[in-house]
Amino acid sequence: MNHEAFQNLDKVIHEKGRMAIMSLLAVTSEISFTDMRNDLGMTDGNLTTHIKHLQKAGYVGVTKSFRGKRPLTTLSLTTDGRTAFTTYIDTLEQIVQSARSGN
Amino acid sequence: MNPNWAEENIQVIRTLMERSTVYRRALAPVMTATGIIGIAAATLTCFVKIETAPSFGLFWIGVAAIALVVSFLFVRRQALKSDEPFWSSPTRRVTQALLPGFFIGFVAGVLCVTRFAPEGVWMLPLIWAFAYGCAIHAAGFFMPRGMKLFGWSLIALAAISLFGIQSLPDLQTAETAHYLMGTFFGILHLAYGVYLHSSEKGEHDP
Repeated sequence: MNHEAFQNLDKVIHEKGRMAIMSLLAVTSEISFTDMRNDLGMTDGNLTTHIKHLQKAGYVGVTKSFRGKRPLTTLSLTTDGRTAFTTYIDTLEQIVQSARSGN
Repeated sequence: MNPNWAEENIQVIRTLMERSTVYRRALAPVMTATGIIGIAAATLTCFVKIETAPSFGLFWIGVAAIALVVSFLFVRRQALKSDEPFWSSPTRRVTQALLPGFFIGFVAGVLCVTRFAPEGVWMLPLIWAFAYGCAIHAAGFFMPRGMKLFGWSLIALAAISLFGIQSLPDLQTAETAHYLMGTFFGILHLAYGVYLHSSEKGEHDP
């Protein structure tokens, strides 16, 4: 197993909930908080905590607006977030490759 | 530590990304049911005379409404069964992609009911097939397995029929129009539904 690659894994993304959030954001230009919560089956509190983590790391942008009279929170991936997610997947693939070759 | 965790993580990411982009819900039953409804409606016109432009337009708009309601029920049932939200992101995207084509078809139908001369009825199935083919092709960007090809098939068949019937005045009748509807919205849908059923079965087999 490639320990160096494992050490390189982004610890912010390397968590089940945050990995799911990043995966969803990677394929949608933007998504509302409610849709994200429904799609991932998370609670409001859980999702808020993960979003704060990702926002702090600069990976996720949060926009607050209004749809009619109702507040709307929209989430999107930042450029840094997209780069970090791509790097994370590349590192995972590297680990898989090295596990297959028995290193 | 189990080295498979990285592979599992990649699989989870892939599944999540697909689930949020690709619409997979109830495609086979929707296509099969639409096909059966289309064939049944076309068969009915062999026994009941529907020849004027308004009756033709109203009859087939009614059939389309029934097919839409049945499709809605299938989609809703699968959403409930899978414990997923009905109005999910992929469902919304597919609906948005379908809407312009459906709107064109609806406008053409209203025009047929209010303005078409009886001898122009044969053109309506072709207009509907063009509009529906475009809608299906657009939705195909968010759907798996041959949806875009199905859209193109409808468009290509409509184009071939247009040239064929245009050069054969004897075929420019309401009867031909019903046969066209049965082919486009009955047989083609049923064939695609059967294909989806059989390929889904293959995917689930060990």
